[in-house]
Formats: sequence, C-alpha cells, structure tokens
Amino acid sequence: MLGRAGVFAALALLLVLPGCPSRKKGPGETAGAAGLEEKGVDTAGSLERFKAGERPAADGGPLRDVHFAFDSYELDEEARAVLRENAEWLQENPREKVEIEGHCDERGTVEYNLALGAKRARAVKDYLVSLGIAADRMTTISYGEELPLCTEHNEDCWARNRRAHFVVLGE
Amino acid sequence: MRARTLGWRACAIWLLLLLPSLARGQVRGTIFGPGLRNYPIAVSPPKNLTPGGAGGDLGRRFAEILERDLVLSGYFKIIERSAHIEQPETSGMDVETIQFDNWTVLGALALVKGAFELDGDVLTLEARLFDVPQRRQLTGRRYRGSVDLLRRMAHRFADEILLQFTGERGPFDSRIAFVSNRDGRFKEVYVMSLDGGDLQQVTKASSITVSPSWAPDNRNLLYTSYKRGNPDLYLLDLLSGRETRISSRLGLNLGGRFSPDGSTIALTVDDASGSDLVLLDRAGDLVRKLTDHWAIDVSPSWSPDGRQIAFCSNRSGSPQIYIMSSDGGQARRLTFQGDYNTSPAWSPKGDRIAYVSRYEGGFNIFTIRPDGSEVRQLTQASGNNEDPSWSPDGRYLVFSSNRSGAKKLYVMDAAGVSQVQLTHGGGDDTSPAWSRWLE
Repeated sequence: MLGRAGVFAALALLLVLPGCPSRKKGPGETAGAAGLEEKGVDTAGSLERFKAGERPAADGGPLRDVHFAFDSYELDEEARAVLRENAEWLQENPREKVEIEGHCDERGTVEYNLALGAKRARAVKDYLVSLGIAADRMTTISYGEELPLCTEHNEDCWARNRRAHFVVLGE
Repeated sequence: MRARTLGWRACAIWLLLLLPSLARGQVRGTIFGPGLRNYPIAVSPPKNLTPGGAGGDLGRRFAEILERDLVLSGYFKIIERSAHIEQPETSGMDVETIQFDNWTVLGALALVKGAFELDGDVLTLEARLFDVPQRRQLTGRRYRGSVDLLRRMAHRFADEILLQFTGERGPFDSRIAFVSNRDGRFKEVYVMSLDGGDLQQVTKASSITVSPSWAPDNRNLLYTSYKRGNPDLYLLDLLSGRETRISSRLGLNLGGRFSPDGSTIALTVDDASGSDLVLLDRAGDLVRKLTDHWAIDVSPSWSPDGRQIAFCSNRSGSPQIYIMSSDGGQARRLTFQGDYNTSPAWSPKGDRIAYVSRYEGGFNIFTIRPDGSEVRQLTQASGNNEDPSWSPDGRYLVFSSNRSGAKKLYVMDAAGVSQVQLTHGGGDDTSPAWSRWLE
C-alpha cells in the first residue's frame, strides 16, 4: 500500500510541474526509485486520443474502468468494489479532479446510447459522491458508442466497451 | 436476335391481352405497387437539338438518372436501352410521329421521350410521358436552368411520372443528409441525392458528429458535434457555409429536430437526473421543458401538424416509444412489444411511425400507427437495420444496415417489399435524414 501511495505522490508531483504539456504521460519514466511499482497514466480523454489518431485507453491508470450490462447503467457488486478502490485513491489525492466518460457497445441506437452513456457516467459519479468524494471534483461526459475500446463484433468486445472510464485531469 | 424479338412480341401481345387498357384508375389499383417492379417503361434519351451538337451526352445522362430513380421507386421494370428500335435522333416526340409499334414490340407500357438544347451553360430540356397501348401523352414538362441542374431535372420528371401513375408525387427531388467516416476516421456529415448523385461533404469538424436533421427550408442542417469538446448543437447554412452553435448546455445537446413550421427545435439535454427533451427557439433559448423525468428521454420526432412529438424513453425500464403533446404534459406509451424500441420517425403523411426494435438479438425497422395498432415489421433476417427516415411523400424510408458488412444506406418502400442499397464503398454510412422536396 505504501508503494502505491508513493507512486501516486510522484504522479501528483508530476502533474503540478510547471510547463508540463496538457497531455501528460505517466510517472513510469521519471519515478525511477528502486522498489516502486510503476504504472503508466494517461491524462488524455478518449476524444483527445481519437483526434490524435490514438486508440482509447483502457484502465491503465490509478482509476479503473467499471463495466455494465447491455442497456444498463446499474452498478453491480463488482463495479461498486472497483469504485470503492477508486474512491480511496481520490481521497488520498484530494486535489485531483477527474472526468468520468460513459461508453456503450456498438449495438443499438446512436442517440439512445449517447443518453445511456451519460447515465452510466452519472451513476458512477453519484456513487462516488455517496462515498464522500466532492461532486465538484468530477465531471461527466458521454461518448455513447462513438469511441469504442475494442472494435470486434462479439460479446467479449462489447462487454469491454460498456464502461465508465476515468481520466485524471490534474488539479 | 430474331428469337428474342419474337419472344418480346409474344410477351407484349400476352400483356396486351391481359391488360387491355391500363388507364390511370386501374394503374392505381393492385396491379401497380412498389416492390412489384413489373411496369415496363422505356426511357428514350432526349434528342439533342443544340446547333452544332454541343452537350452530346446530356440526353443519355438524363435517361440514366431517370431510369435509376424509376428502379429505386420499386414500381418499374426498365426496357433496356440497347433494345430500343426507335432512336431519338431519327424519331419524333409526339403522338403523331412516335412509332408506337416499335415500343409495343419491346413490351413497353410507358415511354419517355424528349429533347434538349444547350445554350452556353443554360439547358432547356423537355420530357414527355406516353401511354404506349393507348398511344397518348400523359404529361409533359419543360425545364430550363443551369446545366448543373440536369440531375434535378431528371429527379423532378421521375417525381412527375410517379404522380401520373400513382396519384402522388415521387420523392426524388430531395436530399439525404447522413453521417459517414468514408474519408478517414472522423465522422462527418454528407449530403446526396437519393440516387447517390451530387454527393457533398458539408462538415469538416475532425471530431465526432452525429444526428443530422433538416430544417423545413431544406437549406439548414442541425447536428451535434464534439468539435469543442462538449456535444453541442450546431446549425449549418448549406448555401453560405455558415455554422452557428445553437446550444452548448453542459452535457448532451443531442438530436435537435425542427418543428414542421421551423419556429422551434426539440432537443435532448442533460439535467441532474437524466436526459430530458426541451423546446428551444431558433436562437437556442429555452421555450419550455417538454419532459422532466429521471429516465432517458431522447430522439424527438414531430407529427406533421406539429401538435405531437414521438420520442424514446426508458421510463418503463426499457426503451419504448412514447407520444406527447408538443405543449408538454403527459406522455402516452405507444410500443409494448419487445424490450428495445428506439428511433421514432413520424411519417410526413402522419399515418405511421417508424422505429427500430430489437428482436432475438437483431435490430429491425417496424412501423406502427399513432394509435398503437397495426405493427408491421419491414426488415428481417438481414443484419441490423436502424435509423429510419421517411421520404417527403411518406412512401419510402431510408435507413442504415450492416447486412452486407459495413453500415450502408438503403431505401425501401413503406411495406418493406423493395429494398435497394444506396451507398457503397469504404466506411460506415449511418443516421440518414431525408429532406423535404426541394423547390
């Protein structure tokens, strides 16, 4: 736990360094102290990545994705467990702000999926608020089925795409 | 060759015996319907009357565009041009000079003839429609305009031919807006004719763009774009190219649809609990909230008289189609079959609402009467079929389907009998929106 906290502290430091580009790569390259866990963190949202010609990011950062059933924005026990961990990080890093992206799989209607993605992001935010995270630290946006993580047409892929994704915005 | 001619002759005689007088009244009956594709028509390319012969292939191009429209209508069978005996340059275009036997022998029941003259870049084109068995002219039209308008002249005459045979103007002099990533990874809005002609990319947002819809003036398009990060509503004037951001409320500004009189816009926006429908004026200011519900409310579609709005809501636990007054107030649930009904599209005739329904894992297009009766399934066993949008005459629907792999646009008649692919090539084509008739 201490190791993780160390990484997060290094990350927080990196994020406040003056002159950092708005799109910050994770602490892997700089936090080189022996024994530390390293994990890449990407602060670019899915739209920014898409515009730059990159694929959306999976949950590589300190905040993990949560997943949903088809046409659902209910948080199951697994999703709640992930969000409790995410809440812990948000509590340990009280100055960090995040954006919560709501995504859907490709099936169904574009407009309905955009509204469904908004509901997913909103459900995640509401749960985190119930865990004591200040609402003004979290924004939400829906990308519906527009920015899939995985582009195959099968259930495995669809399940990965039905998600709420966290982007650490910094302070 | 001789055997083929004899075959045609036998066929023509047989048809003549069966259908001794295909007057308009009978034509409107059961013999003549979309999807039957059985009414034989010949389109003779208009004769070139231009001194010096400039504009050589305009007549052939007019005939090709007209033939394509007639096939898309689902009513007609085209008599191949290579079989024509009478050639435009050596024949007349009125009942006295046309050798109707030369068309009867090919089995033609209807015939288009015409002539054009090109003066600079001004095209004058006259087209006439004849009833071959009765040897009489059914209609004639003269068009004059820039030679760039050749396609529209053909579309207008196709509309006129449908008017003559069915009593209702055809849908061809119109435009279809749609979303495509055919030119790269970005989804942009494109506009084209029903036959795929006059294709034009109208947005260059290099972002996500969704849900195009037409203003009643056919000149302005609404769509939602993430070009500035948030999904905002934009209005694009296609003539001037000017784009205006109309609504940039935090969160969704989605699926704007002009009221039939063009004075207001129904739009999906987020509020604290869910997405709701609001009514905006043309400047984007709130006129009133239409729904205020914890559930998802999306995809408004106006009744042609502007008094009601069909929309999709999951307030019952699954997405279903509802109808409400455009003044707001209580909504009435319309669909009860299945657990996924979305994308309502109210026919301009008012008599049916098309929508998408998920059934056994696939998505298909259905229609239902506004009183909830007479559910009809129009597509089946052919991939996922979505995004229905009605033609201006209410007889056809354009929709997207992945039945051949990538998502492409298709057109079908309101019974789903005739289904024709409209777009080809790379990328996904989705979210078609059919304009009203051009004027």
